[in-house]
Amino acid sequence: MNRTRTSFTKDFVLLSIVALLCLSMSACAPKMVTKGDKYPLLYEERPVSILILPPMNESTAAEAKDYYATTIQEPLSFSGYYVFPYEITTDILKMEGIYDAELMKNIPLQKFREYFGADAVLFTTIRKWDLSYMILAATLTVSIDCELKSTKSNTTLWQYNGTVVVDLSGGNAGGGIAGLIVKVIVTAISSAMADYVPHARTANYSAINSLPYGKYHPMYGKDQGQQFIEQTHPQK
Amino acid sequence: MNHLKLAALVVLAVVLVGCAPQRMYYWGDYSDTLYQSKKHPSDQSTLNHQQALEKILEESRKNNLRVPPGVYAELGYIYFRQNKKDLAIHNFKMEKALYPESALLMNRLENAAKLADKPKPSEGGSSADRLKTLDVSPKKVPTEKADK
Repeated sequence: MNRTRTSFTKDFVLLSIVALLCLSMSACAPKMVTKGDKYPLLYEERPVSILILPPMNESTAAEAKDYYATTIQEPLSFSGYYVFPYEITTDILKMEGIYDAELMKNIPLQKFREYFGADAVLFTTIRKWDLSYMILAATLTVSIDCELKSTKSNTTLWQYNGTVVVDLSGGNAGGGIAGLIVKVIVTAISSAMADYVPHARTANYSAINSLPYGKYHPMYGKDQGQQFIEQTHPQK
Repeated sequence: MNHLKLAALVVLAVVLVGCAPQRMYYWGDYSDTLYQSKKHPSDQSTLNHQQALEKILEESRKNNLRVPPGVYAELGYIYFRQNKKDLAIHNFKMEKALYPESALLMNRLENAAKLADKPKPSEGGSSADRLKTLDVSPKKVPTEKADK
């Protein structure tokens, strides 16, 4: 009798410690959320096909729009959706005079369902596509907002931001004045050759990671419990 | 001893197969060649992208993978612009068969390709231009908005 009692107290103490540890750890770790909790509307509507709209470009780089657009179709397909061929749909939209963000925002989403048969449209906004120079370093930033909207209900089904920041300093080139000069040159060179597109691809994958799987993915309809890092302050 | 080795190999093979992530699609160089064709537009970069698309079909067949969404359609569209009407229509049909979700758009493209065959003396443009002359309902979209 006494024995079971002590082991119970021991268990209790141990459990408390574990619980405390968990609490303290979760306070520091990024807040996690499940796909099912975050995007219930998507699970309700179960869109199958996605039309990627021409990106909206808020960065200072004019070419970002065309370049970024080449990176979305592939990762989106891996999430299990039917993704309309962007090269074709954009041509059609251009012929209709719809290539600007302002125009796209004014179109009733239902039109995209009627013409293309799309269940949902993907709006992407290029927030950042730039280099920032400091005296001895440069960083490259690509930041993309993604928003999936239903052509049925006009509601937002999914939303996430993918951001990649890359240090282009080119490593330590040694000490002294000579070292500094070498480092400045290295920085200048690597900035000139900086290629955004591979980083845009990484940004896409980090955003799309939170997108619930579609019909063509083996995990379709079974991923409500999957966790991802919650973005508490969507940059809207 | 040999049996033991064989058994170990079999176990290893099973474990490896079990762990290997299932590949959904083969996209090959798609994203790269597309990017290059935007960055350095030329006949060569366009051709490279077309070849990347053709390679996706080939590799998917070899590896028994589903052709990724949009690949048949995009290739069909390239043929369409090269005035290879039959090849274009064939690819649009393949896309539709593989992905029924694309039916509406593929039917439109198929019709456009069929129409493109008829000589139109008034127009000397490419077949892509002729898609424009189709009855496209969203044509109303921008004008409707502009009126308001």
